[in-house]
Amino acid sequence: MSLNPLPIHISRFGGCTLTGALSVTTQVRDTVTIVHGPKGCTHHNFSLLHATGLDNDNISLPDLISTGISETDIIFGGEKVLERTLDMVAERNVGGIFVLSTCIIDTIGDDVGAVCRRHYNVPVISVPTAGFLGGTFQNGVNNALNAIADTAEPCLPGQGANIIGEKNLEYEVDENYAEVTRLLSALGIPVNLRFLRDCSLSDITRLGAARLNILRDDDLLGVGKHLQQRFGTPYISSYPVGLGGTIDFLETVAGGFGVKSTQAVLEEKVLQEEILCEFEDISGTSITFDQPDTSSDAIPVAREVAGRISASIESDGCVVPLPLSPPVGTNGIRRMLHRWRRAIHA
Amino acid sequence: MMKQIALYGKGGIGKSTTSANLSAALSGMGLDILQIGCDPKRDSTRMLMHGNFIPTVMDLVRERGEAPITLSEIEFTGFNGVRCVEAGGPEPGVGCAGRGIIATFQLLEKFGALKGDVIVYDVLGDVVCGGFAMPMREGYAQDVYLVTSGELMSLYAANNICKAIKRLSSRQKSTCRLAGVICNAKNQPNEEELVAEFAIRVNSSLIQFIPRDRVVQLAELNRKTVIEFEPASAQAECYRTLAARVMENTHFTIPTPLEIDELESLAYSYI
Repeated sequence: MSLNPLPIHISRFGGCTLTGALSVTTQVRDTVTIVHGPKGCTHHNFSLLHATGLDNDNISLPDLISTGISETDIIFGGEKVLERTLDMVAERNVGGIFVLSTCIIDTIGDDVGAVCRRHYNVPVISVPTAGFLGGTFQNGVNNALNAIADTAEPCLPGQGANIIGEKNLEYEVDENYAEVTRLLSALGIPVNLRFLRDCSLSDITRLGAARLNILRDDDLLGVGKHLQQRFGTPYISSYPVGLGGTIDFLETVAGGFGVKSTQAVLEEKVLQEEILCEFEDISGTSITFDQPDTSSDAIPVAREVAGRISASIESDGCVVPLPLSPPVGTNGIRRMLHRWRRAIHA
Repeated sequence: MMKQIALYGKGGIGKSTTSANLSAALSGMGLDILQIGCDPKRDSTRMLMHGNFIPTVMDLVRERGEAPITLSEIEFTGFNGVRCVEAGGPEPGVGCAGRGIIATFQLLEKFGALKGDVIVYDVLGDVVCGGFAMPMREGYAQDVYLVTSGELMSLYAANNICKAIKRLSSRQKSTCRLAGVICNAKNQPNEEELVAEFAIRVNSSLIQFIPRDRVVQLAELNRKTVIEFEPASAQAECYRTLAARVMENTHFTIPTPLEIDELESLAYSYI
């Protein structure tokens, strides 16, 4: 039983379980996602995904279909309307169908899993996404990743690493990925699969072929463990975060692959020094952060970086922006410093 | 002024039998009566309809889909002109029966069918969700009668319903009140005294004691209410007295439900 003792403050990544799952399933090419519920659940999410896509220069529309359940479906049960919708979508010659549930569907007790297990000539993947059960956006992401992972079979490991659980709705998703691949290639390690961003269901068959899974952040620990159980793949729990953290990342990944990190670490430290030198003009400034919320995950990195540029943190200092989530790698820190500089010189 | 009354109580305690006989007795007073069965089991009005299960509102909604339904397809005239409606509901195990009750009420309102001298709402065993509290909400039943025997589990259910009435009646503009307790006896010793004391303890009163009588079973086997089957019987007179008291009743209260141990010790003291 889930309980919400108090009205809760909703952060960007806190919200709807359905939205979290959709941020994953809509990244699988050649599939349709059915949202089993009232029309509004689909409409709202379509708008959000579309708007976020446009922000990231992606003009394709998410392929969503609502079962559009009505009051009579709620009274008599919505399984029939889901079955009808599945039959209709299966005729469309798609690679696969995702079925996501909504709050009302789990309230009235539709057995969505049982309907999805019937035969439709295309793979049908059910993801439970009723938010009122206490789940968050992140639960939706994790449930979707785990459900999709279960379609892949264990296989022999290759040479690469998987990137697990990219935040597809974050503005810098591709910059962050580029930063991680830059660090991996410094160690000579290729990416096996982005799980999950812009791939097809057939790409997912190679999910088990990675030597290491790199989780976007530690909110994905459940997925990391699930993949480890299913494929035996070890994982590291986060993208590189912070100057020292980026060096640690290189060493940990190198250790996982049994390769030497000495050269890559040396070069990265040089790069970090060069970047810090770029920002000499704001060295020694007194700063304060724009978010009063001291529990922000970005605070430790911000403090580390402030220390390295000899900026002092004081309550009456110049207000500088904290990123929504911690900056990724050395280049994430460079972008953060650019924003600080703009704030300081403003 | 139109009276709207609701009968609540534990499953199997005799709500439908009591409701149907009450409606039959009220109609004998020359009143225009509508009885609405609010239970997916749909057997509330069966004795008024001479043993027939009438089509339920939810059956028609399910079969018709978007196609219009008319009042004559859901409201049937039974014994002595009593108008009968059954809400019905989904197949057991799927959907949401409570929402079905709400939808039925909305449909009846749309038809303007909630009219007459008395509307009797016969509601399923317990208040299991918001939908089954619908008859107690604003604009519907104002007078709620608890049907109970002297058995502890029956009193326990009645006490639970008191909690629902208390909660609903404390709302602004709420007109829902506890109107009395009807004892449908199981022929236990001291049963009338126990139920009368229970009624006082929950801030109400025993409105009628209905003794256990074989004529009720005989009437049912003959697919009739007692009022119709054996109008001269003492049992029929008992239902007529209930009807008269219901019409005269002005004692409407906000109940004071008991704690479980109070209830148990009350029952214990009447062994």
